[in-house]
Amino acid sequence: MPEHRIATQEEWQSERDELLKEEKEITRRGDELAGKRRELPWVKVEKEYEFETTEGKKPLADLFDGNSQLLVYHFMFGPPYEAGCIACSSITDTLAPNVPHLAAKDTKLMLVSRAPLERLQAYRERMGWEIDWVSAGDTDFNLDIGFTSTEEQLKPFLEGEIPPVVEQMAEASGTDAKGYVTEVPGLSAYTLDEGVVYRTYVTTARGLEPTMAYYFLLDRTASGRNERAGEPHWLRRHDEY
Amino acid sequence: MTEHKIATQEEWQMQRDELVAEEKELTRREDELAEKRRALPWVPVEKEYELETADGKRSLSDLFDGRSQLLIYHFMFGPSYEAGCPTCSSMVDGVDGLLPHLHARDVTMLLVSRAPLEKLQAYRERLGWSIPWASSANSDFNFDFGASFHEEEMRKGMPPEDQLPPIAARNAKETGTDLVSYISEMFGATAFKLEDGVIYKTYATTGRGVEFLMGYYGILDRVPRGRDEGDAFQTWIRRHDEYEQEEAR
Repeated sequence: MPEHRIATQEEWQSERDELLKEEKEITRRGDELAGKRRELPWVKVEKEYEFETTEGKKPLADLFDGNSQLLVYHFMFGPPYEAGCIACSSITDTLAPNVPHLAAKDTKLMLVSRAPLERLQAYRERMGWEIDWVSAGDTDFNLDIGFTSTEEQLKPFLEGEIPPVVEQMAEASGTDAKGYVTEVPGLSAYTLDEGVVYRTYVTTARGLEPTMAYYFLLDRTASGRNERAGEPHWLRRHDEY
Repeated sequence: MTEHKIATQEEWQMQRDELVAEEKELTRREDELAEKRRALPWVPVEKEYELETADGKRSLSDLFDGRSQLLIYHFMFGPSYEAGCPTCSSMVDGVDGLLPHLHARDVTMLLVSRAPLEKLQAYRERLGWSIPWASSANSDFNFDFGASFHEEEMRKGMPPEDQLPPIAARNAKETGTDLVSYISEMFGATAFKLEDGVIYKTYATTGRGVEFLMGYYGILDRVPRGRDEGDAFQTWIRRHDEYEQEEAR
């Protein structure tokens, strides 16, 4: 017999119905927060940025590709990286297949990183993703939004004890802890209105979980995410398991 | 000039910080619910089911494929459908590439539908998915797990067509069947656990409870216009190979 509590279908159903009420409440709370996000003011992006794309250099406004909404995933792939961050790669496994559905809702979804374009393209090909990826190269695009850290910002972190999971992730990307954490994962949303680009939303850390669909799937299984502090991270690139 | 409120970076950041506090609260509340799901009791599955798979007939325990957890998506593809449900198809787009990550966490995921296996296989190939798909055509599996209804009962209890959301009639047409046959299939997810040779049902959900499989919604909730669909929810969704045709129309 398992150690877990066993029930009849009827007993299970009555507990399930109780939980369902709480799930519905959370769904509605999620709708409310989505409403609040849409009410945030917009911030005009005044600075000019130039990105390297497969079709040459392009300003931010051109990245919308005919849509009025743009969502950028800031993928951790800095100049010293030899391969993309593992966690960001699992996020892209979630994002890439949603690109055509989002395009149908007037939304361009793409990746931006600081590594040179050729390296991003080669990695994209290796992973088999169909999502546009541009290089922010030497621009301040990532820095201005806080998704590239300065030496000064990193100093306290690097002087402390580096968590083993950071060492693990850095090594898997062919760089050291400093090179790795100079890049920060994040999502930023923009709208193009009468030729003006506005930034509408930015998130990072656990705010990125909507782009990690495997977590939501695991949240519905018996063992859940089952991650323990101090253990090496279980994530790998999808071709490395 | 846009009608939306415009702010400086500093003003925006202040409002954003307040919203982050609410977002964090919701994340923690979701963690709590995940915990409560795991605390649900398990129900032994005592009936034997035999499903058709690409490798021949398989029992439910065979479908775990060597892992201890099984997550089944009940994909709406009934015997009379000519093609799979477009909304279910959009969900599979999002999970198909995640299978290696799930396997690494001891989870097998697969699709189950009531259409004959050959129809499922052909559709899977058309959409380029790698996820396994089993047919419950000759089994009570779908009926027992609330994923199919008998058409005659559905006909009796069916609400008037104008009380159904527009997506029902749209998807019936897109799957090449009639409305009753379309809604005689039900979408949903069921989780199972295999322990000491016994299968237990651990969790099941449907309705908006499947939004965790609709990655585009979580993403759209973060762009300026949001889902922007009102009562016509999901009617914008096409199969991923049909959007260009749509543009050309």
